[in-house]
Amino acid sequence: MSAATHDRPKSAERLRVFAQYDKDFEEEADAVVVGSGPCGAVVAHSLAAAGHSVVLLEEGPPFTPQDYEFEGSLSMARTLREGGLRRTNGTILPTMQAIALGGGSLVNSAICVRPPEFVFDEWSSRYDLEHTSRQSLDPHFDAVAKYLGIAPTPDNVQGRRNLLMKEGCDALGYSSEPIERNVRGCRGSGECFTGCRSRAKQSMDITYIPDAMRLGAKVLTSVQVQHVLSDGRRATGVSGQVVEPFTGAPGYRFTVKAKIVVLAAGCMATPILLQRSDNLANRSGQVGNNLQFHPGVAIAGIFPEVVNPQFGATQGYQSLHFLREGFKLESLWAPPAVAAVRMPGFGKALLERFNDLPYLANWDAIGSTHRSLGTVRPRRKGLEPNLRWNMHPEDVKILSRALWVIAEILFAAGARKIVPGVIGLPAEMHSLDEARVLQTHPIKARDLVSAGNHAFCTTRMHGDSSLGVVDEFGRCHDMDNLYITDTGIFPRCPSVNPMFTGMALAHRASEQMLAAL
Amino acid sequence: MTTALFITAVILLVLRRVFFGYSVSGRKFKVLAPREVAFLTSTAEVMFPADGAIPVSGLEADLPGYADRFLGSIPLDVRWQIRALFMLFEHGTLLFPGPGWTGMRRFSSLTLDQRELVLQGWSQSPKFIRQISFTALRAVLTMGYLGHPAVMRHLRVAPYAIDSPVCEADLLYPAIGAHPDLIPHSERDLSPPSDGTPLDIDGPLHPDYTVSDGALGREIVS
Repeated sequence: MSAATHDRPKSAERLRVFAQYDKDFEEEADAVVVGSGPCGAVVAHSLAAAGHSVVLLEEGPPFTPQDYEFEGSLSMARTLREGGLRRTNGTILPTMQAIALGGGSLVNSAICVRPPEFVFDEWSSRYDLEHTSRQSLDPHFDAVAKYLGIAPTPDNVQGRRNLLMKEGCDALGYSSEPIERNVRGCRGSGECFTGCRSRAKQSMDITYIPDAMRLGAKVLTSVQVQHVLSDGRRATGVSGQVVEPFTGAPGYRFTVKAKIVVLAAGCMATPILLQRSDNLANRSGQVGNNLQFHPGVAIAGIFPEVVNPQFGATQGYQSLHFLREGFKLESLWAPPAVAAVRMPGFGKALLERFNDLPYLANWDAIGSTHRSLGTVRPRRKGLEPNLRWNMHPEDVKILSRALWVIAEILFAAGARKIVPGVIGLPAEMHSLDEARVLQTHPIKARDLVSAGNHAFCTTRMHGDSSLGVVDEFGRCHDMDNLYITDTGIFPRCPSVNPMFTGMALAHRASEQMLAAL
Repeated sequence: MTTALFITAVILLVLRRVFFGYSVSGRKFKVLAPREVAFLTSTAEVMFPADGAIPVSGLEADLPGYADRFLGSIPLDVRWQIRALFMLFEHGTLLFPGPGWTGMRRFSSLTLDQRELVLQGWSQSPKFIRQISFTALRAVLTMGYLGHPAVMRHLRVAPYAIDSPVCEADLLYPAIGAHPDLIPHSERDLSPPSDGTPLDIDGPLHPDYTVSDGALGREIVS
């Protein structure tokens, strides 16, 4: 035993990690929360703050800065499910889900954007949600923002890569602004995707979760929930197995009984859990349906001067100018190996392109592709999902238009060439005139080198219980005490990065849970 | 009888092609088989040539070492997909041969020029499945190449040296796999949070990315 053990906070006793499990076990609490990502962490914190006993379950381990990997694929292999190689069938779209204490907040770029009113207007009118307006959610956004210190990215850590986007947008008269993020004291290391060594990103593992533990919540890591236990309309708890970090090798069995069960396992895991639990809460038939993404496309711009793209906030600038047209623009940095994956060719030509990395600014667009739908179904074995999704031709047009706009902004900012990464188009374009092919070429879904990083709607909320899985406060229509609070409950893609909206909805849902307890 | 002999002969030929005739290097790999090491080495030479714009070749960047670490860190049920990808290219020469009468040999047995033309065939194929396979292979190798410290230093994208502040969470979480008793920090170690001072662009690099053993830094195979 080290000397340090005598000098640790009392709350440390409320955490269990893989090395501590030595037999099957049972727990009992007022509430069990499955998933420690942003939405689950908010619920666990709110319930614990109100004095209730809470058990928060997470399949991944806690990561410390010493556990972070810098190299992109190795980092993804450690922090993401399926080694970071998850993809959809149908239209092939790489997608990802974190497996770590704190969930996606550990490896996302901390973007916190409130969707504009028109998003919620569409939600409430199309999905019969009378209490879900921007105005009604603002107090919940405010509470989360205050707690996490959400603020615009300061200029001194923007770096050239981010500021060039502002210059390009200004030149064309497009609105743009520094991205608001849950970050305190950013130093511009550009390492959001592999774990913030500066401890500046306010990810759940260093904010809500330790705080919830201080308030009495128990946090069990390396535990995989395999079933939701139920009796009629009541969920009675969950059961599963301890799993070894990274290998997933199963071990001891556990059960947690609770008055309230909250599923926040993510929109690709929660439906599987319900389907594996005798198709629980699925009288509507909507569990696992309506899968939507924000598919992302990006263009690399090569500038005449050194950009030093690795310096600066990972994603520091954005433009919401085209949100109503169906896309949002962002500046972007990723581990070099990930940033350069779109670069075409091989051999000397490829090395020439890599050699441009110091001059590179990568900007992306995420599309509100709500016509493109898919499904989440269990595989024959295990809890990983079988994803099927197809991009609708009209949504391909949105992304093609977005590519053209990014090209416009890059050239307006002074890029000497762009690398669009679209299959079937020239590998490099040296002027806006050359880039016009992005407007004229009939781009197909499979021509786009795209990724779907935000996923939603697989247990959607709907005022009509025959058309949705949960009500607008996250309670399953078919159950009295089973709640879902991850992005699966979004009725439609939110047009902006989803974490903040998910947390605000979870904050609101926890008020409902408190009333029920 | 003749049919049985024929089938047996075909099976033996397939087994010989897939499993035999690869030289075993003295280096030990956790996951990679000799055939995969041969394939990765021969591909690295073509994908990231020695006389390119970056003064570190694919061979020097130790792509087999990277692939071994990568495969070792992904779950078994996805690992086979990457290995199948390697096999597809290694034996794809049966369907898409290189030039010349030896063009149907294994990819790793082809000459440099033949390998280059074979990869060109994949990358420029009008068939989507061939293009996407090539993109996937290039992505895997690029991850290894651009992740190498010497390459990252050359491209000025190596990680900086950063002293992580010790926050409350560091008193709660042990290193992955370790017991909490082994947490190295106590309350006395807590330090002020980041004050937001921007990193110095020309500041020191993380120790793993500085020049150490030889000109190329860590993980160079001699």
